Formats: sequence, C-alpha cells, structure tokens
Amino acid sequence: MNASTLTPLISRELIVVTGKGGVGKSAVSAALGGLLASQGRRTLILEIDPRENVHQMLAAPPSGGEIVQVTSKLYLQHLQPRMVLDQLVRERVRVEFLTKRVLESPVYHHFSEGAPGLKEMAVLGHSLLLVQGRVPGAPAIDVVVVDAPATGHGVALLRAPRLVSEVIRQGPVASMTKEVAELVASPDRCGVVVVTLAEEMPVTEALELRADLRSDVQREPDLLVANGLYPPVSESTRETLETADARRLWYSRRELNDAELARLDEHWSGPRVKVPLFPLDRGPELVAEIERELAQ
Amino acid sequence: MSEQAWPPLVIVVGAGGVGKTTLAASMGLLSAEKAEDTLVMTFDPSLRLKDALGVGEEAKGDEVQVTDHLWASLLDAKQTFDRLVARYSPDDQARDRILHNRYYNHLAGGLAGILEYMAVERLFEVSESGRFERIVLDTPPTRQALDFLEAPTRIVGFLDSGALRIALRPWFDGQGNLRPTARLGRLGRRFESYLDEVVGLDLLREMVEFFQAFAPLFDGFRERAEQVEKLLRSPSTLFVLVAGPGEEKIPDALFFARRLRDAGYTLGPIVVNRMHPRIEAHEREGEGEVGQVDGMDLFHWLGDRDARGFEELGQLVGQDHPVVGLPLLESEPSDVETLRQLASEFEDRLQEAE
Repeated sequence: MNASTLTPLISRELIVVTGKGGVGKSAVSAALGGLLASQGRRTLILEIDPRENVHQMLAAPPSGGEIVQVTSKLYLQHLQPRMVLDQLVRERVRVEFLTKRVLESPVYHHFSEGAPGLKEMAVLGHSLLLVQGRVPGAPAIDVVVVDAPATGHGVALLRAPRLVSEVIRQGPVASMTKEVAELVASPDRCGVVVVTLAEEMPVTEALELRADLRSDVQREPDLLVANGLYPPVSESTRETLETADARRLWYSRRELNDAELARLDEHWSGPRVKVPLFPLDRGPELVAEIERELAQ
Repeated sequence: MSEQAWPPLVIVVGAGGVGKTTLAASMGLLSAEKAEDTLVMTFDPSLRLKDALGVGEEAKGDEVQVTDHLWASLLDAKQTFDRLVARYSPDDQARDRILHNRYYNHLAGGLAGILEYMAVERLFEVSESGRFERIVLDTPPTRQALDFLEAPTRIVGFLDSGALRIALRPWFDGQGNLRPTARLGRLGRRFESYLDEVVGLDLLREMVEFFQAFAPLFDGFRERAEQVEKLLRSPSTLFVLVAGPGEEKIPDALFFARRLRDAGYTLGPIVVNRMHPRIEAHEREGEGEVGQVDGMDLFHWLGDRDARGFEELGQLVGQDHPVVGLPLLESEPSDVETLRQLASEFEDRLQEAE
C-alpha cells in the first residue's frame, strides 16, 4: 500500500464506509479492513445493516452481535444500535428491576426508536470505546471500519453527534457525544469513504452525499470508490467488433460507466479508485481482488 | 396473466437498485395504451426517467399528465404526513401544534418506515378518489422489501400515544411540564435523572408535547391504517416482485415471495431484472486489452450466473408461478418510446411464462 490513495487512511481510528444499497459497500469495507490489517493495524469491521453480510465476504462465522476474529489482526462485529443503548442503560442503572423498568418502558422504546441521531450515536460511541479499549472483553483495536447502513445517507451517522448534543446536555450520553463529535470532526482521526457504481442514480446519490458532508459536517470524503465497472473497450476493438448483442451491451454499459465517471470527475477531484466488475461471487476471492485494486 | 387481467392496483416491490421504478413506469405506460386511465406513483426517480415521463418537481403532491391516459406523481413523505395531520386535526390550532413540533419534524422526515407508510397512505387516498382505472405504485427502495408491508403497523404502533401518555403521566402534567420531582418519591427521581442522562429532558418534553397534540388524531390514523391494510390484502391488489439477477439474490426474492403469499397478499409475476445475456463459447475469443479483464469472458460468466439464478428461482418458486426474466438494457429508458419497448418485452415474456 505504498504511497497509494489509501496511505492517509492508515493511521485513522474510525473509517466510515457509506453508499446506497447494492453498490458493493460490504465488499469494499471487507477489503479495506483486510488491507489495514495487513499493514499491522488491529482492525474491526462494524456492520450495522439489519442483516449480516460481511461475514460471508470474509468466510467467517456470523457475529450475531459478538466480536468474531477473522485473522490475527482482523475482527468483525454485527451490531444492532439498540443493543448499545440497552447496555448503556444497564451500566448506568445498576439496580436490576429498575433496568428492566427503563428498558421496557414505552418512553424508552419511543425515544430509542425516534430520537434524532441516537442510534447513530450509539454506533459511533461503540466504535470510540472499542479503539479506546473501553469495551469489556473486547480485544485491543486500532481502527474501526464502519459499514454504514444502506438506508438513508451515511451522512446521518456523521451528523448525529451534533443532533444529540442539542438535546442531551448531561450524563454519560452527553459526555460520549462530546468525545465522538471531536473524533468525527478530526480529519486525522476519522476517514470517510464513499462507494458508488458508475451509473446515474448511484452517482447522483454519491454527489448529494458529498454535498451533505460538506454542508453538515464540513468534511470531504477521503476516498471515492467507483465500483463494479465493466471492462474498458479499446478503440480498435470497438471498431471491429460491433455486431454481437453481448458485445454491444458490454460497450454501451462501459460507455455509460465512462459518462458517469466523467460526471464524478467534474464534481470531485479528490482521491478516487476505480474497481472493475469481477467474475467472482461474493466471498474472500472477490474481497482479495478489491484489496488489490484499492492498494494500487 | 394477459394484459386484460391486470387488477386496479399494482404494487411493485423489491430491493433498491433493481430497476423497480423504470419497470413501474413502463407497466403504467402499457396500461395507458389500452386506453385505461393510469397513474404511476413513484419515489425519487432518476433524471432520465423524469425526462422520459416528462415530470419534474411539480409532480410532487399532484398528478401530472404524461400521455392521453397516463399520469405520474412523485411521492414526498413529509408532505403526505403533513396533509394527513391537517386532515385529522380537529382545528387549525391542533394542526399547527403538531406541524411546528421539532420532534414531529424529525419523525416526519426520518423515522424508519415513514416513507413506506406514507406511500400506502397516498395510494389509499388516490384509490378512494376513483379518478384512475389503474394505479401502479413504485415502492421506496428498502434493503429488505419486507419493510414495506410492516411499515403501516409499525408506524401506527409507534404513534399509539395512549400507551405513552399513561407511561408519562407520573412525570409530566397536563401542560407537558415536568412535575416537581419531590412528589415522585425516590424511585421517580432516579428514573427521571436516568431519563435525563440518556434521553435528555428537553427532547422528552417535546415528545410529550407531540404525543399530546397527536392524541386527538390517533383514532383517525388507526382506522385509516386498518383500511389501508384491507386494501393491500384485497384480491384486486397485485404485488409484482422485482429482483436483481444472479444466484446471490435468490434467497431475498424467495423469502419475500413466500412471505407475501403466506400473509395472504396476492403475488403476481416475479421479475428477474437486468439479466446479462447468455453467450456461446465461440463468441468470446479474447478481445480485451492485455492485462485487463476480458469483457467477453466477464459477460460469459455474468450470463451464466444470471441464467443459473433465474432457473433456480423458477424451480424454487414452483412451476405454477410466473417468473419473468428481463434483460439488462444498453441504456436506461430516456423517452416514452424506449419505455414502450421495455413494456412490450415484459408483456411478451410474461405470456411465455404463463
């Protein structure tokens, strides 16, 4: 990973990987995690999606909420934000029946479901505690790669500390919010990776995400990954082989990719990696290929 | 299912990025060309499709006429929610109390499932009006297509202010002010301070205000949700499930198909969209540039993968159920003509599958 676009990301404590569903975000998160681990960073991939996915990429057993060791330096965990909040209540309210009362109260249910930014804060707070070695029973972790939920913009995650600090001003959540806000605001400690396909809707969404990042958290993405590209077509090939349907389809899909890559170029001059479509099912082999592309 | 048999309501469901919106639009066009007044309701379509349908921001909230018999509208969750609040509010004051509540504004824009709920709400509204002979609803992209069906129940459960009011009664008075803690005793005081630390009392106060303001509206909402549920389960509402190609997508599609049928919804054709064509071995002699993945090798693999997935899904779903494969297009439809081509391709394949 010498002097690659990834170099600035190596020393971060938190890397948020965002992008809409279906763009290969989990595969990129897994590859990024693998690369960081291969550089000696003790890395944990934190997955938030309702359904577990990353373990398949790494051929690891499912996490079910626990931390799973994948290789000597790579871990993964699938997390429901609600679990983090429940744990917080348990730690704070040490009396058993009171804990139960809080956890089962409709007020708690409603606020944990509907309070602005709270679930996102739970995810970030958990990440912070992990890298600070403050999660009981967890291994030592240098960097957490968050595979952000597919629904909604990943920017919601980064916006959360401010939302929460507006309504909660004291107690453990408030102090954690302050720490998390500092982490997220620091480009040296927190990185943002945007994954997209080079197709119209995903690119439009990636550009919106970038605008939101800028206006809401005053951040730029550290890396943009254009994933799933059809293979380039050389000029000579294009001229001679424009007959068969499949070939024409290949050329037009690649042309579409090129047009959308150009649109990305227009709006984004920062670090960018192009990752081709591989003839591989999701799994470690695919992740290894993406790792190679990211490392270039 | 021939084209005459399409019921008055067609709901297109599936994960994000599988081409649901384009398919919904072309199905709408197909219906409109049979001279039946048809509305396509969609969320956040691509620019290209907006161009194809000739609709822009003005279609938010109102139906815009596209052709003689085709209308289109863009759905906006917040706007629909606002409109519902206005409808069920006993007076303007009650309405404004909700619309200006900060918690409401967060909920209306951000609560998981709200978009889905508002989609069926709006569907119900338009369907009741009887203005259209057919409505094609494109549903919002969800990671799990299932979310869409659970949303109404979940949101109504969430808005059930009765339970929440009872829970909050000991701590808040009728005006939403925190009662003097002395009256609560030690237990109450501790509970309150925990809540403040974890939730923040300011937020809690806004929540209380919201649920208080919302209470008179709740019965209207619940009744409505029941009617919406009935509409979704009616035999004249057909679900068309759209899935992406490839074996990886099978479990999702299968799970949702089963779930729809088990729960008593009417499942129409399952569409496997954006399939790569199957190509013969002799077509793929290497033409890629040196050191690059060869395009035809890749297409060969993709074509095989998609065909395998399609066959497997067909077997798993059962022979009596139509599974239709649609090809990946060279480009997304950008005008009515290409939408029409997609629609007639869909119709042909559907007839073959039956």
